[in-house]
Amino acid sequence: MANTRIEPGVPITLQELYPSSQFYKEAVSLRVTGMLSGYSVETAIGVIEDGSKSLKINTQNLRDVSFRVGSIYQFIGELHIEPNNEAFLQARTGRNVDGIDMNLYRKTIELLRKFLKEEGNSNMAE
Amino acid sequence: MDRSLQNTHAKLVARDIQRLTQSPTESNSFSLLGGACVSRVETVGTIVSRDLTPKFLKFGVDDGTGCVTCVLWLNQLTSSYFSRWDPDTILLLASAARKQAAAIRIGAVARVRGRVGSYRGVMQITATVVVVERDPNAEILHWLECLRLGQSCYRIQS
Repeated sequence: MANTRIEPGVPITLQELYPSSQFYKEAVSLRVTGMLSGYSVETAIGVIEDGSKSLKINTQNLRDVSFRVGSIYQFIGELHIEPNNEAFLQARTGRNVDGIDMNLYRKTIELLRKFLKEEGNSNMAE
Repeated sequence: MDRSLQNTHAKLVARDIQRLTQSPTESNSFSLLGGACVSRVETVGTIVSRDLTPKFLKFGVDDGTGCVTCVLWLNQLTSSYFSRWDPDTILLLASAARKQAAAIRIGAVARVRGRVGSYRGVMQITATVVVVERDPNAEILHWLECLRLGQSCYRIQS
């Protein structure tokens, strides 16, 4: 019953994912949420969008998740940076979150970071 | 030491569960930053790992602040611990545990209640109730409750 350490997927918004961002790093564990704007069954790669930002998601490791363009999904996984400096998320988990209050989600992420920062060091706190 | 939370399930984020420290005076109690003393916790997060054995199901819950290991025992029908229990009660417990174990799958969001303890130096939850959440806002609301309780209740020194 050995304890294998799994890094938590730090919740972020797609707006926070840009090349100079602290989250834009190879193999960093993230939790991302957005509307599925495209999905290829052949490659198992989808694209989620939030406002003007988008992110490629590799879903080849996911089972029992059906993808519907136009629905909102949340993924946890590791970010990988391609040689052209474009990022994609290698998803470990994925779920449909149609009905999520995205405004409340964004606001709560900010409050949670502030709370964690006040209560001690956290890799989630800015 | 504040013992007022001993008989309730303290709502904590995973980061705070991992930072609980053994109470110097009470064997099954853990202290949160030297303040409130807890023995039972409630957390909500995404299931990110699942390891089924004949005796128990071990699973990991990721709430964005940390990953906490949870154990759901499935040995009610074979363990000597239950030998003096009413057989009907044991059957009910075993049936409930197996139903909960079947619902625990990677990617689902679960609310876990149970006793907190330390195993090989790492905090883990021995689950008594696991409920898979269908509300897409369940994690957000849990975070907000943890924030409110953390600021208004749990950090209060006795």
